[in-house]
This record gives sequence, C-alpha cells and structure tokens, in this order.
Amino acid sequence: MSGVELFQIWLVAFATLALFSFMYKDNPFYRVAEHVFTGLSAGYYIGLTWDTIIVTQLWNPMMSGRWWLFIPGILSLLMFTRLSPRFSWVSRTSLAFVMGVTAGGALVFQLHGLVLPQIQSTMMPLWGSEGVGTLLLTIIMVIGVISTLIYFYYSKEHKGVLGMTARVGIWFIMISFGAHFGYTVMGRVSLLIGRVQFLIEDWIGSFGQIG
Amino acid sequence: MSIWTKLETLDRRWVYLMVSIAVIVPFIIEAKFPISITPEARKLFEAVEAVPDSSNVFVVFDYYASTTAECEPMSRAAVRHFFRKDCKVITLTNIPLGGPSMSERVTREVALEYDKEYGVDFVNLGFKYGYVAVLSGMGTSIESIFPTDNSGTPLSELPLMDSVYNYDDIEFIFEVADNATAEFWVSIVNAQYGVPIGCGTTAVSAPKYYSFVQSGQFVGLLGGMKGAAEYELMMDQPDLAVRGMAVQSLVHLLIIGFVVLGNLGYFLGPRKKKRSAF
Repeated sequence: MSGVELFQIWLVAFATLALFSFMYKDNPFYRVAEHVFTGLSAGYYIGLTWDTIIVTQLWNPMMSGRWWLFIPGILSLLMFTRLSPRFSWVSRTSLAFVMGVTAGGALVFQLHGLVLPQIQSTMMPLWGSEGVGTLLLTIIMVIGVISTLIYFYYSKEHKGVLGMTARVGIWFIMISFGAHFGYTVMGRVSLLIGRVQFLIEDWIGSFGQIG
Repeated sequence: MSIWTKLETLDRRWVYLMVSIAVIVPFIIEAKFPISITPEARKLFEAVEAVPDSSNVFVVFDYYASTTAECEPMSRAAVRHFFRKDCKVITLTNIPLGGPSMSERVTREVALEYDKEYGVDFVNLGFKYGYVAVLSGMGTSIESIFPTDNSGTPLSELPLMDSVYNYDDIEFIFEVADNATAEFWVSIVNAQYGVPIGCGTTAVSAPKYYSFVQSGQFVGLLGGMKGAAEYELMMDQPDLAVRGMAVQSLVHLLIIGFVVLGNLGYFLGPRKKKRSAF
C-alpha cells in the first residue's frame, strides 16, 4: 500500500469518525467534516458542470462548426437575469422553453412508460392463474387497488359501503407504510454497516502498514 | 421509577451504543446467518444468464457515494457476471457526485480479475448532465451524447464502440440506482426502445419498484444489501454484501427487540393509567 493510499484511508476514517461523533453530541470535529463535505461537493459539482456541459457540450461543438448551439447558450445566459429584479422577466423565455420541453416529454414518458403499463399490469385474469397461491395474490391485489383508490375518492362522504371499503384501503396503505419503513431501516443499517466495514477492514487493517 | 418509565426516558445514546456493538461484533466473530433467494433476484440472475455471450450491455452506476454500501456490491456482481459471459460492458452514470469515479474504479478492479482490456472489453462513458435528454438521445446515437469516454478519448478511437451505435446494439441494461433515474430508464428506454432492464436499488426504493417487476418493465430486482447478497450467492462469489448481511440480521433482531420493549413500555407503563382515566 502506497503512502498516498494510506493517507486517503486515514482521511476517510477521520471524516467518518468525525461525522459519527455527532451521535454523542455536536462538536467541532463534526462541524469541520460537515463544512469540508459541503464545500467539496459544491466545488466538485461546479467543476464537473463546467467540464461536461459548458466545455464538452457547448463550447467545443460550437468551435467545431455547430454554431447554432449559441441559441441554447444564450437561453442559458438569460437565466442569470433572475439576479436582477428589473430584468428578471427576460428569464421567462428560457423557463418557458424548459417547461414546454419538460411537460411535453413527461406526458409521453409518464403516460406511455409508466401509467399505462402499471394500469395494464393490475388488469389480471382471476381464473387460469398459476396455482392457488398466485390466485390469492391476484385477489389481494385487486382488493388492494380498488379499496386504496376509493380511500382517495373525496367526492362523496365515506359512509356505508364506501366507508367500509375506504377503511380496507387504509389497512393496505398502513401495511405498505410498514413495508417501506422496514426497508428504510434495512437501508440505513446497510449504510452504517458499510462504514463500519471500512473502519474495521481498511482503516484498522492499515495499522500494520504504518512504520 | 419503574423499569418501564426508565425505558421510556432512556438516553438515545444508549440505543446508538447497542446498535454500534451489534454492528461491530459480528465482523469480529465472523457470524453467519442464512440468506434466502427471493424470486425477483432469481429472475434478474436468470435474465442475465440468458443474455447471449459476448453481447454489448450497459451497466449503469446511478448512485451517490452515500449509498455505496448497498449499491456497489450489486454493480460489482453485475460487472463480474457480464465479464464471466465475455460480454462487452459499457458503463455510464447520470449522477454527478461520485458516479463517474465509482464506475471507473469498480469496472477496472473487476476487469483485472477477468483479464479484460479497456476499450476492447469495456468502456466507461462517464457522466452527462440531463438524464431525460441523455436517455432519449442515446436512442438515436450514443456518440452524439457521449462524443468521448470518461477520460476524454473520442469513442471513434475505442474498438468496442465500433459495433455500438444506439440501443439497437445493446442486449441488456443493468441499472443500479439509489434514486428516481430508474423510472426514466423504464419510461424512456424500456418503453420506447424495448431494451430489457434489470434493476438493483437501495432498500428504501425497493418497495416502489416491485410493481415494475410485476408489470414486466424490470426483468428482476435486487433490493438493498439483501438483494446484493442474493446475487453474490447465485454467482457463487460471496463478497461484501454477504459479509454485511450477518450484521444486518443481528441489528434487525435488536431493532425488533427495541420495538417490542417500546410497545410493552407504552402499554404497561404509567401512560396506560392516564389513558384509562381519560
């Protein structure tokens, strides 16, 4: 292991422990690590944006003959007029372009790519399924979809059959929240495991390399 | 003060300490817990197995450094699987912070295991801003979106990219994501171009994406560290995720214990008397 790699490991270990120290209480080490991270992220993001967008996607192609790219370039510059209250209205041209493209694209992508296939996949035949287990799951899904949709139907007071169905919908929503929460716990614990794995295997493992 | 009252007013730092011990101890004693394979993970593994050998595939590193513990084992296992099948791996990312360097590091490390050569067996396209435009644009021409690879080498100088023009030349996409970009791969690339997509995602996002497996928009799904461990086991190459799962199981048991204790404290403690008086 080279000296640079060793230094990197110790630096990462310091940042990890400094951030973990917040669990005990707020302290200067935590604040240093937090501020360094914020500054580094902002600097990295600016550098990356400059290189991958301004230089690679705008300046270089313009210089190599695709002169018409100056139009999006000017539209981008117009966004900076938002910094001046007097001229901020000029930025609406760029915003209108962005909103138009986003809305048009999203309509197609969301409808064709997400909404319709998801609706289609809930329209399943109850009979002819593969086995009793699959049939049961299909029935549960149909009940879940209908009752949850009814829970979000606000044009009529939730009373009688409508109220009962909406209450079933609440159960499905609660079970879904529980599943989400369980997965969230698993996800957060995984992140902790990753850090501890690094500290034990890489950082403590590097002690033998010193000297 | 009863034990239940004491529990209710317990300093949260004791909980942190107990969770820390539960995370550290299994690493030291190398504890093992059984890991079962879910149907969604098996489907994904089988779909990758079914990809013809030597095909061109995408492995997408759409995750931030903060979720490396969950996502990197998945991407590592995916790259291993494709290299084992002699597939040509093209990596890219829609995540600016960390994505380009993580894809570079993981792919190059795994390439060493399989003696693969950059530019011939794998290429890293790096990051490009604006995922909707990027994903749509690659349907027409990958080179128009990524004129160079992550290191600035023009794609025309990389032999692997001679046979790759757009999505028509891609057999499979293995998307590893910790955010909503997975939905855009589904709604743009799968829906418009029909390229099969397998997804590995963080545990937080997994419940949302199960419906995509059921609708056939994802061929399979890996959810969190558990999903990564399942894939490693199916590959017969247990690694980071399998080691992490023993810890995961122990911490889950501890958390279940906390939930049970918390509820017992709520129902048996003084609060119950107040409630009944009310």
